[in-house]
Amino acid sequence: MKRTRIIKQYLLIFAGITLLGTANLLAESKVNTCLDCHVENDIMPGDFLEEDVHQHSEISCAGCHGGDPEAEDMDESMSADAGYIGIPSRQEMPAFCGKCHSKIEYMRVFQPRIPTDQVDQYYTSTHGKKLLSGDKKVAMCSSCHTSHGILPAKDTRSSVHPFNIPQTCNQCHGDADLMASTSHGTSQYEDYAGSVHGKALIERSDTGSPACNDCHGNHGAAPPGAESISHICGSCHLNNMEFFKTSVMGQLSESADYHSCEQCHGNHSISEPSDELLNVNESSLCLECHSDGDEGYVAAEAMYTQIRQTDSLYQAAIIRLKDIQIKGMNDVDIQYVLKDAKQNLIQLRTMVHTFDPVQVKEKAAEGKELSAEAISLAGLEISEFNQRRMGFGISTLAFVLLAFAVFLKIRQIDSNKKSD
Amino acid sequence: MKYGRREFINTLLGAGGIGGLASILYPVFQFLVPPEVTEPQVSSLKVGAVGDFPVNSSKIVRFGRVPVILIRSDRDTFKALAATCTHLDCIVQYNQARKQIICACHNGVYDLSGKNISGPPPKPLAVYSVSIVDDQVMITQEKDLA
Repeated sequence: MKRTRIIKQYLLIFAGITLLGTANLLAESKVNTCLDCHVENDIMPGDFLEEDVHQHSEISCAGCHGGDPEAEDMDESMSADAGYIGIPSRQEMPAFCGKCHSKIEYMRVFQPRIPTDQVDQYYTSTHGKKLLSGDKKVAMCSSCHTSHGILPAKDTRSSVHPFNIPQTCNQCHGDADLMASTSHGTSQYEDYAGSVHGKALIERSDTGSPACNDCHGNHGAAPPGAESISHICGSCHLNNMEFFKTSVMGQLSESADYHSCEQCHGNHSISEPSDELLNVNESSLCLECHSDGDEGYVAAEAMYTQIRQTDSLYQAAIIRLKDIQIKGMNDVDIQYVLKDAKQNLIQLRTMVHTFDPVQVKEKAAEGKELSAEAISLAGLEISEFNQRRMGFGISTLAFVLLAFAVFLKIRQIDSNKKSD
Repeated sequence: MKYGRREFINTLLGAGGIGGLASILYPVFQFLVPPEVTEPQVSSLKVGAVGDFPVNSSKIVRFGRVPVILIRSDRDTFKALAATCTHLDCIVQYNQARKQIICACHNGVYDLSGKNISGPPPKPLAVYSVSIVDDQVMITQEKDLA
């Protein structure tokens, strides 16, 4: 009953704000006494930006806060009669923004393809549910987007640009006081920043790498459930997901309620994968569940051996390639073969997610053959180089002999002349 | 017959002369004979007659040091794109059924204009110009790629 009453109250607030907001938007004009007065008295909001997306769309202060921006008298412009709303509470904020952002008829004037389900999504999120239940610390619209310095998400200065999202989320999730009542901990940002994804995004500015929202969602942000992890990781790591789904491990993962990808790779602190994760020593992930001699142990050892052998041969071919490049010989054919060998190695490492040593061995055989071919081609080039060097030595010797013979001949001719 | 100093010098002179001449002529001869390998620095490449490429097929060709995928998507349309995936440099393939370019390493997908449309590739594939000259298909590197 209490919950129904709260929802009814919010619906009423939402309807009221919508009506007032629409009236204010219709009454939009160029005169903005709010701005004039706030600038004159130096009481502008701390996060105010001239480039704010609303300012750009000529939505004035009254567009959100209500009131009459044409009235010279403050009491009149900020009166309830003029539709003044003032500063919304945190609980009112989704409806406050939603009065425009949930109306496609209004929003498509500015952006024809803009989604208008943010508020609906928000109330399905952990943030939204907590806000509805009366949690006053939980994130709402302006926590992520700011209030008066909102920039398009494509703008690298925006708090919701992929470059800045980890820090934006960390403002709350890294705050021990705010997180004290949750079981989350506060190390997500540090974990992420040191992960393979975090390094790519933060250090190398690779926007192909996921930020927080790519796994957790935006307005509907929620922790991914065990059943959705492989789908989330698989949205980028497609082959890994396909191999995993059809593997024995994938089927076991479903029935035994393992956290699929997360079970081995972790979540925020996912490190760059290494062959050593498969090795049957202290670094092995497999040994967290498997033990010496069981089927998983044998499979891990077999796959590790195949990958290391293929990689060693590939590295040997790379050393030969560098050798012939230093010698200035033709490396085009070898480079082409090594491209295929590299591709094979990538596919081989992905194939580990089949957890099938037979498939891995077959793929490894192709890779070894390619690297062996590159080494053989490099051998031909090196032998050609040696042949040229020998030819150069022989010709140098011939010239030295010729010079010496000419010298002796001249001496002989001189000696003959003297004796005559 | 006595092999005296004179004969020794003449032999030395002859051998040195022949060796010296061979040292000059061999590189000249090698220069005149065309090399077996393609010149790596190419800006244009003839890849074959139009009839050599069936409709809805592709071929990976060597454009100097760079593999290029030539796709004949329909009767009159040839496309040439860098065949190296922009994710981790794997060689891409043309999927006839989907009429898309696929990278088998991580399932990256590009459309026929080379635009990355799915999976991990961060950038589109570089585009090469294709022209038909005397029924021969020519691939040319576009200026901004040079």
